[in-house]
Amino acid sequence: MSLLELTKISKHFGGVRALHEVDLSVDAGEVVALIGDNGAGKSTLVKIVSGVESPDTGEIRVRGESARLVSPRAAAEAGIRTVFQDLSLCDNLDAVQNLFLGQEKYGPMWSGRRIRRHVMEEHAHRILESLSVKLRSLNTPVVALSGGQRQGIAICRALISDPAVVILDEPTAALGVSQRAEVLDLIHRLRDQGRGVVVISHDMKDVRQVADRVVALRLGSKVAEFRRGEYTPSDLVGAMTGAHEGDSSVPAGATEGDEL
Amino acid sequence: MSTATASAPDTQRTPAGRAIEMVTGGNRSIPVLIVLAIIWTVFYSQSSAYLSFQNITNLTLQIATTAILALGVVFVLLVGEIDLSSAVLSGVCAAIAAGLAVNSGLALPLAIAVAIGAGMAITLIEALVITFGVPSLIVTLGGMVILQGLILVVLPPEFTVSVAGTSFAKIASTAVPAGASYVLAAVGTVAFAAYRFFVYRERISTGTRTSPVSIVVPSVLVAVVLFGGVYTLTRQRGLPMPVLIVAVMLLIAWYFTTQTRYGIHLYAVGGDREAAQRAGVPVRRMVIYSFLILGACAAVAGMVDASRQLGVSVTSGAGPLMLNAIAAAVVGGTSLFGGRGSIWSAILGALVIGSISNGVQLLGLTTEVQYFATGAVLIIAVAVDVVLTRGSLWPGRR
Repeated sequence: MSLLELTKISKHFGGVRALHEVDLSVDAGEVVALIGDNGAGKSTLVKIVSGVESPDTGEIRVRGESARLVSPRAAAEAGIRTVFQDLSLCDNLDAVQNLFLGQEKYGPMWSGRRIRRHVMEEHAHRILESLSVKLRSLNTPVVALSGGQRQGIAICRALISDPAVVILDEPTAALGVSQRAEVLDLIHRLRDQGRGVVVISHDMKDVRQVADRVVALRLGSKVAEFRRGEYTPSDLVGAMTGAHEGDSSVPAGATEGDEL
Repeated sequence: MSTATASAPDTQRTPAGRAIEMVTGGNRSIPVLIVLAIIWTVFYSQSSAYLSFQNITNLTLQIATTAILALGVVFVLLVGEIDLSSAVLSGVCAAIAAGLAVNSGLALPLAIAVAIGAGMAITLIEALVITFGVPSLIVTLGGMVILQGLILVVLPPEFTVSVAGTSFAKIASTAVPAGASYVLAAVGTVAFAAYRFFVYRERISTGTRTSPVSIVVPSVLVAVVLFGGVYTLTRQRGLPMPVLIVAVMLLIAWYFTTQTRYGIHLYAVGGDREAAQRAGVPVRRMVIYSFLILGACAAVAGMVDASRQLGVSVTSGAGPLMLNAIAAAVVGGTSLFGGRGSIWSAILGALVIGSISNGVQLLGLTTEVQYFATGAVLIIAVAVDVVLTRGSLWPGRR
């Protein structure tokens, strides 16, 4: 059974067709890469899965059960966490406040929901350490941190609630070489923990390195699906750009994937 | 946002950037305290009466209304909105309370409750229109004009209510006797130290780094402020009630903005609305809460002011009160762009602005000097805010 299964998801913005009957499934312990050119509908799909947007039609199943992801909170409760490309950190808050934003640990009602900062700090230390994210201080507003540190905090934030599915939107786009390797390492670690991981990426090198399965979108539709080792780099580029259109190159993996 | 990411490491390396980093966050009050010290030194050098016990007591009474209103404005600024209507609203609420208590003979606590309720109801309507999508500048500008009309409706035909000699006037004229004030200061100090000890124990229990210094130093500071304040302000007749009201409101506001989940969400909404929304923070509700707090603060400010002026009239809440309250919040270090600042900026900013006008009057200088100085301080404060928000001293270096 898939952790997350999307069936025939469509979404329009006004007259613009952003997604058309897209299917996608993620199993436990699997990394699925979502690729596509600009405007292919990757971001819309991410927004739908993370509860920011609702699909016009189509069904979302989480662990086999139909789910309505009407808000980010509903998606989080269903066990889906998203790390957005812009990281969605509040610049004016510190690392601990950002990590727990929306899922703070707080005391009883009579205390006015007093935050249990010491518990949160201890938890934050543990989780940041497990991914070796190094910070000078947990009390510095994140605007003063480096791009890699901010990415680390954003990914750690997704892990606070121990989600089943983690969605990473362009996780390596803003990073240097060593930090990129760290993030790819982290994606493997997420998979080894038995989570389902969806990685949206432009970078074919990253995709080939981490993905067990690659799904290509073009102009809002799913055009191809490849399994690890069953594709060449030019297959990916071809599927993204439509360069091989009309070629008989719809790979065996695609039909197989559709039946899943 | 991505531009902020790119500029962050740069600002850290330049000395100016480091200085900017230092005065943001928790140390944001320090520049204001320095400005306050300069103002006091300048006026004191001109007239030694400026820092007399009597004048300081006067000053605190003069700024009480501004400080209470500024406190409400801070909440609205923190979520990235603005309000122009709360000063007139304070007049409307005062007219309601005074009308009910003096003319209709309603019990004072009930009249006060009705006025606070009315204030919150009006700001609730404004907030609903704002969360619907109309800019708060426009909603509250229109609201201000409507409220100027409403105050004419609420006031009796003669357009004034005198509260002289009634229980209403006692709100401002009551003074807590010196003995009781010292007891209050002692209780406050002990409670604060106990709280710090509680936090210390909490942090030890999870192995978080901490030290007993985190109990002692802040507690000594609080003791100095409380006992120094009580000593200064009780030289005349005892601790004035408005000062106590301001102190209690600040205490409550401090707790909720810094110690609770509500506070984190408040700052998150002001810092980055979309990020807050994605994290599951109820953004619209937080905006509405802020305006409700503003409504309550405006009502209290209006009643304290009416009680001190011994009446309500069409000019209640008019004049410079609104701009002074906004200026106080901003001068005190609360950003106009949302998400940065603290509730202390309300009292510190009100002190700065009050100190200038008090000093100008004491020295018998002309009114224009007061306007020049207050306006200049406001512009400088916003310029500092712009530099801090941009993270760079010079424009175009993002």
